Amino acid sequence: MLNFVTTVGVILQHIAVNLALQYDDLWQGSGAADESNVLMQVMAGSNLIFVVLAVSLVIWFVFIFYLIRVERKLAQLEKKHSE
Amino acid sequence: MPRLPLWKYAVLLWMTVVLVAAFLIRVPDIPILHETSRNLFFHVPMWFTMTVVFGAGLVYSIRYLATGNSTMDRRAEAVTYVGILFGICGLLTGALWARFTWGTWWTFAEPKMNLSAMAMMIYVAYFILRSAFDDPHKRAKLAAVYNVFAATTVPFLLYVIPRQLPSLHPGADGNPAFSDLTAPELRLVFYPAVIGFIALAFWLADLKYRMQTLQDRVDDDSVGA
Repeated sequence: MLNFVTTVGVILQHIAVNLALQYDDLWQGSGAADESNVLMQVMAGSNLIFVVLAVSLVIWFVFIFYLIRVERKLAQLEKKHSE
Repeated sequence: MPRLPLWKYAVLLWMTVVLVAAFLIRVPDIPILHETSRNLFFHVPMWFTMTVVFGAGLVYSIRYLATGNSTMDRRAEAVTYVGILFGICGLLTGALWARFTWGTWWTFAEPKMNLSAMAMMIYVAYFILRSAFDDPHKRAKLAAVYNVFAATTVPFLLYVIPRQLPSLHPGADGNPAFSDLTAPELRLVFYPAVIGFIALAFWLADLKYRMQTLQDRVDDDSVGA
């Protein structure tokens, strides 16, 4: 048991340190993007248009999620009321 | 996942592709407009969609008057409701776009702005009229007659009159809207966007119609009990 807790503690510490390190880079301002992976480099380029696209897609996908939920609820109600 | 008709999945995929293309297509850097040229893919389809669904509302209203079938009244109400939603989106996006290109949120010197706002008010009155009747048959009949009048004003308010008046808005002063756009490739995204938004509007109207049908059924049951 103690072993398990220690292991989890070590993992959490690892994550925390890693997160802090990442922010450490970002706090140093520009240049951080160079060290990130390819996806982040693309996102940070082209006058940040990809960020706007991503934001719009997030909104669109949430909208789709809601639309499909409403569809399902309506289908259930229609089934209930046709009986 | 509920089982949806195939066209609805097609709309989701279609609109996702349109959205990506709208942001990624290379737009010409026109002075004043800059990146806001992309608004063409969002703002203008709002009005196209509104016009099409209001047109559908006209068809449903006439079919109601011809048959007395309450289904047609509900369909007319649903598409008109969605048309107003798209019209509001068109007004809001237009005002925002105007703020950063014309320098003002709203100007009463701009015929297209004011006349489109007027068209919206005519349609809001459709719902006020509906709310004034308790008798569903009377409500349906008068709403249908009013809707024929309302739909008749749209082409004049949005297309005929603004083209006769001086205006900053494209599509004014005798010019078709596309003539002063220097980049024909914008059409590659614009027309698919129009189709996508129209399909989306009919989806929303379908939901509204089905909800209203259920509501009416529930109301009938409670009256009968």
